[in-house]
Amino acid sequence: MDIYAVRILISQPLRLVLTIGGVSLCVILMFFLLAVYQGVADGSVEYIRKNTVDLWALQRNATNILRGSSIVSALQGQSIRQIPGIKSVSPVLLLLTTVKKGDKTRTIFLTGFNPKDGIGGPPHIATGRGVQKDDEIVLDKSFAAKFKYKLGDSVKIQEHMLKVVGISTGTNAFVIQYVFVTLHFAQTLVGLQDMATCFLVKVKDGNNVNEVAHRIRKILPGIEVYDHKIFLENNIQEMESGFLPLLYTVALIGAVVLTVILSLLLSVNILERKKDFAILKTLGSPPEFLRRIIIMQALLISSISSIFALIIFFPLVKAIESISPEISTKLSVEQIIAVISVVAAMSLVSSFISMQRLRRIYLLEVFK
Amino acid sequence: MNKIIKRSCIVHLDRLTKIYGTNENKTVALHQISFQSFSGELILLIGPSGSGKTTLLTLIAGLTKPTTGTVSLFEKDIEHYTPRELQRLRAKRIGFIFQTFFLIDSLTAMENVEVVLHFTGKHRRDAHRQAMQLLHRFHMGYLSKRFPPSMSQGEKQRVAVIRALANNADLILADEPTGSLESKQGFDIIRLLQNYTKEHNKCVIVASHDLRLVDYADRILRLEDGMLRKGD
Repeated sequence: MDIYAVRILISQPLRLVLTIGGVSLCVILMFFLLAVYQGVADGSVEYIRKNTVDLWALQRNATNILRGSSIVSALQGQSIRQIPGIKSVSPVLLLLTTVKKGDKTRTIFLTGFNPKDGIGGPPHIATGRGVQKDDEIVLDKSFAAKFKYKLGDSVKIQEHMLKVVGISTGTNAFVIQYVFVTLHFAQTLVGLQDMATCFLVKVKDGNNVNEVAHRIRKILPGIEVYDHKIFLENNIQEMESGFLPLLYTVALIGAVVLTVILSLLLSVNILERKKDFAILKTLGSPPEFLRRIIIMQALLISSISSIFALIIFFPLVKAIESISPEISTKLSVEQIIAVISVVAAMSLVSSFISMQRLRRIYLLEVFK
Repeated sequence: MNKIIKRSCIVHLDRLTKIYGTNENKTVALHQISFQSFSGELILLIGPSGSGKTTLLTLIAGLTKPTTGTVSLFEKDIEHYTPRELQRLRAKRIGFIFQTFFLIDSLTAMENVEVVLHFTGKHRRDAHRQAMQLLHRFHMGYLSKRFPPSMSQGEKQRVAVIRALANNADLILADEPTGSLESKQGFDIIRLLQNYTKEHNKCVIVASHDLRLVDYADRILRLEDGMLRKGD
């Protein structure tokens, strides 16, 4: 009798509200973690994803650009250019450096690229334009928002003043943001004019990419070459290995808290309704009838909490993003369904935990 | 034309003994109780508080097990029923009435009756319709949407009786059904049970210490200190 499950719940309105509040917060936490993960995942590798070259050439043993160092020289770039089947070779220099504004210092991923071919530059320009000269810079949108930079402002990097000419998106890796300058400026900054981090290689039409990659490896044993898909996967893997364990741990804590809260409420409800349950048992209630009441309560709470969480999640995220622009989130319908499924599963687990109390209700209670 | 009524044995107790505790803490609640009850019969189990009336009802209902002796219910030893069969028996063939009614406070009068009809396997809509019909038949339709805390003692007990009769039970076990009621309300309830016995050829066992009920019983069993008094 579903109405009985509802009546038990609404008989203690404050407790119900607190429980829904607690479960909703757990659901919001899970939504938020997934959304942040998706935002970071996209932001971290969007730069690579959008630079759709055929091959990425790095120093041997380097597998990615997110958490690995690679140094290649212009000489190696010239050697690659000589290999048959190569259309273009674009060096990119990635440096970790700092920007100082007032008393705040922030680390950035300074990306030097050749503005003439544009390869290795920002994936999207939201406002303004790309860099053309050595004293120009394109900033990530969240970085610019956080430090209140706008087009035309000057950014001080080391002793150099650069003018903000563009704002980019898809360049926020959560813990760090990409900014873009000319390759020449980046090389000047480190004092090594021939230095680069990697080469972005395009292959002439009609040539087999794998064969060209093989030729590069053969001629330049100190260089590792990846096709675009594998290089993207390498970087995603690298990003996930640093982020996913944390995500899983916090999500697990959220799920456990949710289960504990629900189990507690259901158990208290059973204890308080001990007499009712004993009456129902004495009157011939099948065990599944009583179990169904508990499951119904758990599913009702988790459903209401999920709806409530969905209603407040998006405005909440908007508020968080306005306070901390570097937090970028993305939540897909599939992820929402996944979280709600997990919540439903955990609510079933909590109802099964609470059901154990039903066994300890004796029929003779009603004759006492 | 006279209607031929078949009388069948509903309850058969044979040298039933129930002992609580062990050794020096041993309490003999019932000692060597034997009797049979049949359909169409209202048995009054009378005795003072602590005489073992309630224990006897719980043994008949299969809610507890005897220490020695046997309980046969509907011509089958209760030991031979599985827990599932006993549950179904309570749902479909036994009705309970308690002194303090034990209606479920968070359900309306109608839902309190409806819930036992669910246990018999009735579909929600049928259970709802039948519960409504029952309340109207016993002139309690006006209570259908009311919750027990807003009812009088008499109203509560009448709803509890309707709940016990809802599944057309072959056996009604009533534990002090008039104990919490005023005289008139008590007599109304016992008359209702008496009619049910006669009109439907059912068996009702009423445990009470109220001697005013003796006129309504077909048979009286006097319990004292866990034993049936000789000569009854």
